[in-house]
Amino acid sequence: MVECQLCYMYGYHMHQRLQSLLFCLTALKFTDKHEWIRVEDNGTGTVGISNFAQEALGDVVYCGLPEVGTQLAQQDEFGALESVKAASELYSPLTGEVVEVNTLLADNPGLVNKSCYKDGWLMKMTIAKPAELDSLMDEAAYERYIHSIED
Amino acid sequence: MLSHLRGTFCVLSAGVQRAWSSSSCLFMDPSSPGLVLQSQSTDVFQNLALEDWIDAHVDLQQRSILLLWRNRPTVVIGRHQNPWAECNLPAMRSAQVPVARRRSGGGTVYHDLGNLNLTFFASKKAYDRRRNLKVVTDALRRVRPQLDIQATDRLDILLNGRYKISGTASRLSRKSSYHHCTLLHSADRSAIAVLLRPSCPGIRSNATPSIPSPVTNLTDHAPSLQWEELLEAVVQQYSSEFGLTSSSQCVDPADEALFPGVGSMEAELRGWQWTFGKTPKFSVETQLELRDERPAARCSAQLQLEVKNGRVESCRVEVPATWLPERLSASLAQALLGERFCPHRAAAALSALLRCESGPLHSRLRNLCDVLVAAMG
Repeated sequence: MVECQLCYMYGYHMHQRLQSLLFCLTALKFTDKHEWIRVEDNGTGTVGISNFAQEALGDVVYCGLPEVGTQLAQQDEFGALESVKAASELYSPLTGEVVEVNTLLADNPGLVNKSCYKDGWLMKMTIAKPAELDSLMDEAAYERYIHSIED
Repeated sequence: MLSHLRGTFCVLSAGVQRAWSSSSCLFMDPSSPGLVLQSQSTDVFQNLALEDWIDAHVDLQQRSILLLWRNRPTVVIGRHQNPWAECNLPAMRSAQVPVARRRSGGGTVYHDLGNLNLTFFASKKAYDRRRNLKVVTDALRRVRPQLDIQATDRLDILLNGRYKISGTASRLSRKSSYHHCTLLHSADRSAIAVLLRPSCPGIRSNATPSIPSPVTNLTDHAPSLQWEELLEAVVQQYSSEFGLTSSSQCVDPADEALFPGVGSMEAELRGWQWTFGKTPKFSVETQLELRDERPAARCSAQLQLEVKNGRVESCRVEVPATWLPERLSASLAQALLGERFCPHRAAAALSALLRCESGPLHSRLRNLCDVLVAAMG
């Protein structure tokens, strides 16, 4: 029995594994630049890039992430991912302060491709303006958004 | 349209042909969905700033742009590279060859006036590097059909299946993309061998490495190929590949009226913070050879440094206590903390220490300082 990548439950439940279309109650919100943010129990936000983004990017070879303590406004550049296809800037989904970065990515940048919603998370930040979450897309809206780009 | 290109490539011609008074005229002409720009400048920072400016300000959903440019001798490193690992900074300082960090990924290249840079700007949807490279390979095949020219999976362009004449890098930003590539027409290959080697030994880092390749110039195999002929072929092929009626313009990337804000973009690219401060964290571990003259004696020491954001974050100098008291090597290491990883800064920081220490240990301390400074490139 394999642990669900999204809500860590076992057994039959509403999720599919890996990059599933359905998400748990602690929902992910998405930006139009394909970052996601998940609000954790302790009120911080975990940030990563979506499956759509990691597929478009190709194999990530380097993650340029911010220093802990960096203050970010919504949409500020907070780093860059370099893949075989391009260097791509990363934009902060919300206003807040960086409290942790994923140090595993230094030696294993491919985690961003292999596990973009779990082990390939990029950074954690405080949520200084929770109202900004309303400006982000929920998963259904994000799916519609992707389809509109692909057409 | 193309006739005004003949013999008037901007960087050679004395006159400035500025037909546009503002960027809105230049970039929003609806009759011209394709635009070819030629930079008048040979300054790498001005040219990179122009790329940034176009990327940030031009609506590329409706149009595509090809920018042609070349630089005076420069080494250009990729976004996440380590300049000390990639190029010989002391040799470059002597030769007055600057280093520039670009915003796209990829490896280190040497630019000079014999290298043509092409930047293809498009929307993210229209991003297609293979198609862009086809413009270059088809243009070359048209003007010199006898040349064996192929683009590889890595998006290099090879001549005769072996020699690299072009490398590619790209950037994806908010709404748009750019893909740029080099093209070796008649560059100084001996400079490449001298300058593209590490500045100092013992660097350990996970910065993106370069993949060295044997290179050649087009003129080594087609000596009659003129620069202007190459440009014209590329511009024509660009129009033909993308079905555009491209208008072609010379631009001055330092023109604030045409590109408002480009000056501050240039300043950022030129600055130490971007060029060196953006280097991914790295360590230096190397052996130092110490010597004394009177009496003649030698000794080996170990240097271990961590460099973060281009500054010394930690430093350990292990010198046998019989050579120098531990307190001296420790205070030397301490003096470097927080300083830029730079031989000049190191020398300045250490000179204060040297002034305090006279007596029999002075010459050994001075030797250690010199060797330490030399280990920093």
